[in-house]
Amino acid sequence: MVSMTLIEGGPEKQMGSQNQRSDRTAHGTADGTADSRADKDADFSAYMSARQAALYRTAYLLAGDHAGAEDLLQNAFAKLYLSWDRVRDREALDGYVRRIMVNENNSLWRRAWKRREHSTDVLPETGTVDTYDDGMGGALWSFVQTLPPKQRSVIVLRYYEQLSEAEIADVLGVSVGTVKSQASRALAGLRARAPRSLHPHESGDDAR
Amino acid sequence: MSPTPLEDQVHDALHRTAAPLHRAPLTVTDVRTRARRIRRRRAAAAGAAVAAVLAVAVPVGVGMVNPAPRSDVPPATQPPAPAVTGTVRIDPRSAEVVDSTPVPLVDVDGPSLITSDGTLTLPEVFDTLTPYRDGWVGVTMDEGRGTLEFLTADLEVEDRGGPTGGLVVSPDGTRVAWSEYTGSRWEVAMAEVGGGVEWTYLRFPPGPEDQRVEPVGFVSEVEVVVRQNDGTGRVTDFVADGDTPVELPGLMQAEAASPATGAVAGVTRSTVEGSCSAVVDGRAGNGRVMWDTCDYTLTSFSPDGRHLVGLVASGGEYGSPTLAVLDAATGEPVVDFEVAAGRRQIVGIDDRIAWADDGTLVVRVMHGEDYYVVQLGLDGTVQRVGIASAGASGLSVAEVR
Repeated sequence: MVSMTLIEGGPEKQMGSQNQRSDRTAHGTADGTADSRADKDADFSAYMSARQAALYRTAYLLAGDHAGAEDLLQNAFAKLYLSWDRVRDREALDGYVRRIMVNENNSLWRRAWKRREHSTDVLPETGTVDTYDDGMGGALWSFVQTLPPKQRSVIVLRYYEQLSEAEIADVLGVSVGTVKSQASRALAGLRARAPRSLHPHESGDDAR
Repeated sequence: MSPTPLEDQVHDALHRTAAPLHRAPLTVTDVRTRARRIRRRRAAAAGAAVAAVLAVAVPVGVGMVNPAPRSDVPPATQPPAPAVTGTVRIDPRSAEVVDSTPVPLVDVDGPSLITSDGTLTLPEVFDTLTPYRDGWVGVTMDEGRGTLEFLTADLEVEDRGGPTGGLVVSPDGTRVAWSEYTGSRWEVAMAEVGGGVEWTYLRFPPGPEDQRVEPVGFVSEVEVVVRQNDGTGRVTDFVADGDTPVELPGLMQAEAASPATGAVAGVTRSTVEGSCSAVVDGRAGNGRVMWDTCDYTLTSFSPDGRHLVGLVASGGEYGSPTLAVLDAATGEPVVDFEVAAGRRQIVGIDDRIAWADDGTLVVRVMHGEDYYVVQLGLDGTVQRVGIASAGASGLSVAEVR
C-alpha cells in the first residue's frame, strides 16, 4: 500500500537521534533546534535528490506539461516537507508524494476547468521525442491527455506506476469499484479517440 | 484487470513518454518557499474561520495605523477642488508645523515605524511596511534585492517569504498585493488585509529571478497592475486579475494605477533629454491613451482617482524641484508646487508620495542637507510634519498605494 504513517508529537519525540542528544548537551536547546532543522533539511534534501527525477516523470504524466509537472511536484514536496517530522514510515514517502500530486492535479483541474475547456482545440504539449516510438505511442499519449483528470490518474497509476486497483483506490480515496469503472471508461474513451491505425478492436480487446 | 493489447499499448506509451525525462528542476529552497506559502495559507484560513465565528475581524495592526477610508464619499458628490492661482512655494523651514503624521512613516535610522498612534521600534529597516491580518507585511531591501517579511503585531519577524519586487496597498487600505519569486517563476499574490484567504496567485511562466515582477497598484478591487523586466531592461505591463496576467499595451512602463477609475499612468518614451508619459484605460485591455504629456512624469493617483501627481520629467537624482497636481481625466494642472531654494541649494521631492485623503498628499522633501516630510493640500496649504528622525537620513513614506 502507499499509505504513510504519521505519528503525533514534535520533532524531538520522533527523531531523538544520538546527534540531537549530544547537541543539546553541548550547545543547549536553541542550538539543538537549529541542528534539528539542519538535520531535517539534510534528510529532506537527500530524499529529494534521490527521488525527484522519478517523481517528476509521474508528475509530467499527470499534468501533461513541464510547468504543470514542476508545480505539482513542488507543491507535493512542500507538503511533505511540512510533515517531515511526523513521518515514521520513510518507505512510504513516494506514495505520499504521489497521493498529493494526484489529488492536487484533480483539484487544480477542477479549478481551472473553464480555462482548459477553451483550449481543447489545441493539442497538448507532446513532451519528449522518443526515437523508438513508431508513432502509436505518441498518438496514444496525446489521447491520454484528453481524458478527464480522474480517469487519467487511474491510467497513470495503473499503467505507469503499476499499482493494483486497491492501491489506486487508496491513493484516490475512492472504492475499488470506482477505480474499475474509471479505468473502464478511460480505456473506452481511448478506443473511441484512437485513430484507426491503432486498430484496438483488431488486437484482441473485444475478445476479452 | 488482465492486460489487453490496448492496455499494453497504454503502458508502453506512458513509459516511452516518461523514460527520457531526467529532470530535477527543484531545489530545497524552492520547496521551502512553497512550504512557507502553504503554512501561511493554512494560518490565514484558520484565522478567517475564527473571524467568521466571532463575526468581528479588526486586525490589531489596522487599528494601530487607523487607515481611515480614503474615499467614503463618491466622487460625483465631492466638491471641486478650490482653485489655487500661481505656484505654491514649499519652504519646509517656515511652513506651519503639525505634530502628527496622517500616513505611516519609516525612520531608517531608528529603525522605527511612526504612525498617528505612536512610534514602534522595527527589528530592521523596511522599505515598505503595512498592516496585514493581525500583524504586518513588509519589504526589506539589500542592494536592490527585496525580501518579503511577515511580522507579528509586536513587529517580530514571524516568517520570511522569497525575493519580492515590492508590495502595494489599495487606497482604502483593505487589500495588499505583492510579488514573490518562488525559485522558478514569479507570482503575484493579492490578499485582503482584514481576513480571508490569500485569494489569488498569478503565475508567470518559469524564468530567472532577474525577470523581476513589480506590482504597481490596484486598478480595480480584484485587479492589480504589475510590470515585468525581461532582464535586458525591456519592461512589459500586465493587468492581473486572478486568472492569467494580461499584457497591458500603451505604456513603456506603468508607474501608478487607480482602482477608482481604472486608469493607469506611466512612461511612454524615455530619452536622454527626458521622458513622456500618458494615462491609459487599464480596464479596457486595449491601452487606449486618455491623454499624454512630456512635461511631467506621473507618479500617484489620489484615492478618488480625480487627481494625479506630476513631477518634472527630467528631475535629477535628488528628485523633482516642482510638483503638479493634475486633473487625472485631462492632464490639466490643478495646483503647482515648487520647493523654495536658496542660491546653490539642492532641493528635490522624492517620487514616493502618499495621499492622506483625497485632498492632501504627503511628500518627502530634500532641502539643502536636510530632509523634511511635508503635507501639501489641494487648497494650497503647506505643513511640515514636526516629527524628528533618529539620524540624518530623515523620514520616508512607509507604504505604496
